[in-house]
Amino acid sequence: MVQKATETFFKSESRYRMLVENSCDIIFSLDFEGRFVYVSPAWKNILGHELSEVVGHNFREFVDPEDIPRCEDAFMAVIRSNAMQEMTYRVQHADGSWRRHTTRVNRHRDENGVKTIFGTTHDVTERFLFEELISRTEKMAMISGMAAGMAHEINNPLGAILQHAQNIERRVSADIPANVQAAAEVGVNLDLVRAYMQKRGILDFISHIRSAGMKASEIITNMLQFSRRSDAGAEYVNLSTFLDKVLELAGSDYDMKKKYGFRRIELQRLYAADLPPILLSVSGMEQVLLNILSNAAQALADGEPSQQPRIIVRTRLAKGMALIDIEDNGPGIDEQTRRRIFEPFFTTKKIGVGTGLGLSVAYEIVTKGHRGMIAVRSKPGKGSCFTIKLPLQETA
Amino acid sequence: MTDSALTVLLVDDNEMIRDCVTAYLEDEGFTVYSYATAEEALELIAAINPSVCISDMRLPGMHGEEFILKAQINSPLTRYLLHTGMLYTLSDELRAIGMTDGDIFLKPLHDLSKLVQKITQIAAVRGGQ
Repeated sequence: MVQKATETFFKSESRYRMLVENSCDIIFSLDFEGRFVYVSPAWKNILGHELSEVVGHNFREFVDPEDIPRCEDAFMAVIRSNAMQEMTYRVQHADGSWRRHTTRVNRHRDENGVKTIFGTTHDVTERFLFEELISRTEKMAMISGMAAGMAHEINNPLGAILQHAQNIERRVSADIPANVQAAAEVGVNLDLVRAYMQKRGILDFISHIRSAGMKASEIITNMLQFSRRSDAGAEYVNLSTFLDKVLELAGSDYDMKKKYGFRRIELQRLYAADLPPILLSVSGMEQVLLNILSNAAQALADGEPSQQPRIIVRTRLAKGMALIDIEDNGPGIDEQTRRRIFEPFFTTKKIGVGTGLGLSVAYEIVTKGHRGMIAVRSKPGKGSCFTIKLPLQETA
Repeated sequence: MTDSALTVLLVDDNEMIRDCVTAYLEDEGFTVYSYATAEEALELIAAINPSVCISDMRLPGMHGEEFILKAQINSPLTRYLLHTGMLYTLSDELRAIGMTDGDIFLKPLHDLSKLVQKITQIAAVRGGQ
């Protein structure tokens, strides 16, 4: 009778073990210090470590430091209240990459009164990346629509401001006969009127209205790019020749030269020899590349002075796409900035320096105008690399 | 009696824009007739016979493109320009009456001298005839 019961017990324990060891999700238990007492073999499949590298080690060795407090809070809550807790956090794979995991934890007290935390972990990295992509795409579409609508509405009053300011400037000038005549009719001397306006700064005020209006107008023009289909004027170009021309343009740009010392930057051109002609909107793609180059030059100007600033422009073919890399060895971009870098109005520059539109317009031009892709990789301290992927066209 | 080579007809439903452009062109010595609707302008364009007609695209009644096509029948010697806030690609019909991309002026024009340059060129050709 006893033997029968024991047999049944072992049978069912091995069945439980089989369930735990073959689970696709990670099943684990932790002591109250946060050390792994047990992890199921799924850990190795999902995160690449040998189980012996995990058992006895603290969960803090694997979880992103930023997410550790969140996990600690969940563990504290489960220890205090015995209510199931769920948390999502980043955890490092044995190969150094980061995965996103969702874990549910509970508390257990065994027959000897030893308490452990146990939990199951599901890898949600792919789903997370997909959701992030969808929400970014939706956000971009919404902001683009709003930006274009606003630009149209602002355009008319802005035009009126600029043109009226221009008219005021002209109507106090003695060069226009109608002004001289009108002044004579009301019995004033136009030169004296002008001298008064000069003395009281009025002419400067008007010129400030104009220059501020021009600045606003530049922003509006950029915003209108969102609704613009830039397929107009598409032509087949030799990418190497095109990139040489863009680099030449960048080198002759005033800001690039004076503010960011573009001439000081070592340019490496690593062009693939086997690229077919690519269909491009020349002005659109110029704008994209100049924007990336100007950001790179700015980043290099802010970088480590001891290091030779360098930009690598590389082309290559991959999976039916032509790729353009623009890589710098500047200070790089942190992860939070990287994630938002293509959002309209997102800028890390000082107020008034950047509009936060440059790269969002670049994104629109590449994705909508060219059905391509644009992405950025970066390691803080090591530089950044923008990659533009353009579909190859079948030429007749 | 005005010299029709220096006559400009302007259609824009925005009063501020009408005032601005009119003031600027008058200062340059042009005579300007301005209207808020295409319908009004269409009635009078044959009598005015301007060198240049500048039209907005989005007008309250008749659309700018339709206006130009009709006006062109009434006043065939007039050259037509578009002054519009919308990014616009010329239709085949407008190209057929001789309009080109250089005849489109995007609002806001920071500097009306560009528009004047164009009008002066056209007026010079017409004045020379």
